[in-house]
Amino acid sequence: MKSLDEWVDRLHLPTLTVTAVAVVAWSLLSWRYGAYVLPSPRAVVGGLADILRTGEVWTHTGASLSRILIGFGGAVGLALLMGLASFLSRRARAVVHDVLAVLNSTSVFVWIVLSIIWFGLSRWAPIFTTLMITLPVVASNIVEGVENVDRRLLEMGDVYRLGGREKFRAIVVPSTLPYLVAGMKVGFGLALKVSVVAEIFGVTSGIGYIMNYSREILATQMVFAWALVMVLVMMVTDKLVFDSISRRLSRWR
Amino acid sequence: MAMKPRLKLRVSGIGKDFLIPVIETVSFGVEAGEFVCLLGPNGCGKTTLLRIIGGIEPATRGAVLLDGQPVVAGDAHSRKVGVVFQEDRLLPWMTLEQNVALVLKPLGLGAEERHALARRHLVLAGLAGFEHYYPGRVSGGMRQRAAIARALAIEPDVLLMDEPFGALDAQNRRIMQNEVRRIWKETGRTILFVTHSIEEAVAIGTTLVMLSARPSHIRELIRNDGRVERGRLIDDLNTMIMEEVERQQGGAA
Repeated sequence: MKSLDEWVDRLHLPTLTVTAVAVVAWSLLSWRYGAYVLPSPRAVVGGLADILRTGEVWTHTGASLSRILIGFGGAVGLALLMGLASFLSRRARAVVHDVLAVLNSTSVFVWIVLSIIWFGLSRWAPIFTTLMITLPVVASNIVEGVENVDRRLLEMGDVYRLGGREKFRAIVVPSTLPYLVAGMKVGFGLALKVSVVAEIFGVTSGIGYIMNYSREILATQMVFAWALVMVLVMMVTDKLVFDSISRRLSRWR
Repeated sequence: MAMKPRLKLRVSGIGKDFLIPVIETVSFGVEAGEFVCLLGPNGCGKTTLLRIIGGIEPATRGAVLLDGQPVVAGDAHSRKVGVVFQEDRLLPWMTLEQNVALVLKPLGLGAEERHALARRHLVLAGLAGFEHYYPGRVSGGMRQRAAIARALAIEPDVLLMDEPFGALDAQNRRIMQNEVRRIWKETGRTILFVTHSIEEAVAIGTTLVMLSARPSHIRELIRNDGRVERGRLIDDLNTMIMEEVERQQGGAA
């Protein structure tokens, strides 16, 4: 029989307790300040049920996710090219390093403003912003992975006369993959957060758009409901996609 | 007139400078099927000499001929060199069998043949039943056995071993020494074995090459054919190595 302690941990009882306390506090505060500033938990859950029932949740989540997939996918593609370049040439690696340092220090807002100037009020604005923000995160990880390839294994490859392609496939790719997955995990989280901000401007679909719209029509409970949707999307992709990839990659450990 | 057996390996006038001369000049010949142990005080360039012979590192002076063909770092030659490093240098994401089969690729064999050869050499190295294990799942001694199997699988013209059992405990070391001796007898390979243990060299080598202190030359070349009693030989070599160590320290002062 499992001990009581084990069940407490397994059911996340401490977390649930904190959540319950927070919900009670939230209810009290919402009662004190009113639904516009802080809607009650019940109103938020009701709002969530509404968008689930009407299917609106899929329209906007789908719109956001499709933009993220394009922007983030582009970032991963570019990051892979940067990783390849820095594997092939020491000089390219130095350039990539400097470029990433600059990109890393650029604010989200710069890309939002620039993308509105360059792409106007279209879906390409959030896509471009997502790409530019996630690129340095994913690329830094890949480049770090390429730099951490064990030289001694490459020397072994030379001794046994493995060709460049074979060394790349058998040594470089497997040792870089964990870095790529870690970078993609962080990058995807960032993509979701950033693209939603960029959706405030110019587009007429997506979680960011609908949250801003809810604010304008004074439906604060919907702002909360959509925030919950974002959190759920984040947690589900983390668990279903990235955790299972990580587990598959570390099979040999 | 009887033809002198052609030398398998000729090391002539090899020297190496790293800012200061490390190897002054070393020359010796190895006949096919010999088991040569390279001995010498720490820092005398044993490993460097082995790496030069393996074509991993360039020499400052001199030449290495394997079956009459020059071995130059970075240049291709048709002879096959198997190397067992101080560390196993197995790819952790490949099974033992895949690790061995990988180095057979450049030999232009089909997948089936490569895996059959890999299995045969793993069995020869005492790893029957562990073909599908990942390196992380077996002991250090077994990993080193797999590294030996990998080196043997290419059917090397010369097998270079660089203190391969340095990381093993005394018991495993003894076992592996017997194993290498057995494998040498079964395969008749030409072996060059670097060690800092005189006991190890006397136990397994047919020829012992004792290098002097830095800048090194050959201090003594001894046929370990049983004509000198083992205990006596070990004592003599220990005296020699202590003399060299003292000379090195005297020279540095």
